[in-house]
Amino acid sequence: MTTGEQTAGVMTQVAQGLAGRGPTRRTVKVAGRVITLVVILLWSLFPVYWALNTSLSTLSGADSKPAHYLPSPLSGTSYRDILGIGGAGSGVATQIGRSLLNSAIESGAAMILTVTIAVFAAYAFARLNFKFKRTIFVSVLATLLLPAYATLIPLYRIMASLGLVNTYLAVILVYTSGFLPLAIWILYNYFNSIPRELEEAAFVDGATPVRALVRVIIPVARPGIAAAAIIAFLLGWAQFLFPLILTTDLSTQPVTVIVAALNEQRIVPFTLLMGCGVIAAAIPGIVALVLNRYIVQGMTAGSIK
Amino acid sequence: MSSARRGRLLPYILLSPLVVFIGALSFVPTADTTVEAFFRVMPLNPPTQFTGLGNFRALFANPAITTSWVNTAVYVVVGVVLSVILGTAMALALRQKFRFRGIVLALVILPWALPAVVEAVIWNWIYNPTFGVMNSALHSAHLIGGYHVWLGLDRWLTVVLIEIVQVWQITPLSAVVILAALQSISPDLYEAARVDGAGPVQSFVRISLPLIRPALAVCTVEALVLSLNIFDQVYILNGIAPLGSSVMLQTYVQTFEDLNFGSGYALSLLITLATALLSMAALALFYRRSEATS
Repeated sequence: MTTGEQTAGVMTQVAQGLAGRGPTRRTVKVAGRVITLVVILLWSLFPVYWALNTSLSTLSGADSKPAHYLPSPLSGTSYRDILGIGGAGSGVATQIGRSLLNSAIESGAAMILTVTIAVFAAYAFARLNFKFKRTIFVSVLATLLLPAYATLIPLYRIMASLGLVNTYLAVILVYTSGFLPLAIWILYNYFNSIPRELEEAAFVDGATPVRALVRVIIPVARPGIAAAAIIAFLLGWAQFLFPLILTTDLSTQPVTVIVAALNEQRIVPFTLLMGCGVIAAAIPGIVALVLNRYIVQGMTAGSIK
Repeated sequence: MSSARRGRLLPYILLSPLVVFIGALSFVPTADTTVEAFFRVMPLNPPTQFTGLGNFRALFANPAITTSWVNTAVYVVVGVVLSVILGTAMALALRQKFRFRGIVLALVILPWALPAVVEAVIWNWIYNPTFGVMNSALHSAHLIGGYHVWLGLDRWLTVVLIEIVQVWQITPLSAVVILAALQSISPDLYEAARVDGAGPVQSFVRISLPLIRPALAVCTVEALVLSLNIFDQVYILNGIAPLGSSVMLQTYVQTFEDLNFGSGYALSLLITLATALLSMAALALFYRRSEATS
């Protein structure tokens, strides 16, 4: 049964109830399901809606008691200010623009590097036999449970000693080392789900393992590779603690660090701050909504066994 | 080089970038933390010397640090319990097919995909004492008499409200993992239980629960590691004040604000060990229980 029909069913039953007949057990059940879904959606989306609502209000509309649940009056002022149209808030415009570019470069490059390294490694783990395979595999996956604590200070000192603090390279290398175990886990599980007969046909034709990987496995494994790539990108975009210590100015600071800094200033109006938040969340938000089936696949990789 | 030899070397060639990355940027730093925790390391105030347990003793004498340990314990308990219960509830609600389920699922995942810092900034506005919507909504519903200052006054309220922001972010992960586990259960089992007269509660306890145990273990360990590591939400919603601070926040403060690296290393080592022990304990618990029931 579909939600539309269910809703219609609820309406009829409610109408009947009002007309004097008591609700049936089925009505209660259906109404319960609809209410549950509404509660889940409210819980999941209300904060996001609230940021949008505030960012589309004027300051006096947002600072009101009681709060307005719709932007009143509806205004594009905060976005005009953030984008630097009209002069006001042009400092914010420069910061947001540049930090978005930094976020895109850092999480994009980390995604490409992570997936490239992980595809070859996961293929070796899934298909080839060699000494120390199990030891290396388990040690790599064990770092999944290693908290950021364990590596934070040494990584900072390594980057400082190499003169890499406040460079894209430091951020990209640290992200990649952090995302590799998860990417390998996702790809390893995906490669294992591909029947071996596919490559065997290629081997009969005289292909080398690398050729089989590039010509047979990679094309078939595209959804798994997409899942690993998307999750690496989202994780990169969301990073805060590592860039907080590894980047020191606008030449490399990602948008998360800038939004936190604007929040800390305590003088930036909430309408503007929520506008910056919406902009910082827009790219991962769109990626999550459009490509969610890959994300679900990556999230559940290997968890059901 | 013969092709046989090239074949033998191939796995190591394919793995070498991975081994270099994980070795240099995960294993070496972890080993470094383990060693340096026993040294006095202050970059602006040399020399670096061996102090034995000196860093650890200083940490436990510092009330701000002990506060952060107790807070972190509360973050973990609230985070694990809420995210696993809410995740299970969401998974059960999303398990049956209905029109728009795909869209609902995509929307439910959204909080997981957004940066925690941005989410914390949004919740900070929701919790705002003067114009926050939480005050406004609770006031309109006559649940509170006047507007409250939610954060920074009462310690436990602050910790719970901050953890709710993290739970909001990590619950989708639990929901998706548990949902996948629920969907892999054969409908025949439920049908058989129904024929035997089992109600929905009974079939959940007797069929679903034992079969989703591995998924619950994954969610528990994930929530455990994430809440032990809580930083972004605390940094935004609590600042560096001791009241609601977490161990990760104190590690940051000790190291990068007070520039006492040795102290930061010691804290890192302790929390890393705690994470490893607690995750293994959680996995062992789930594993033993599922052995017992099968």
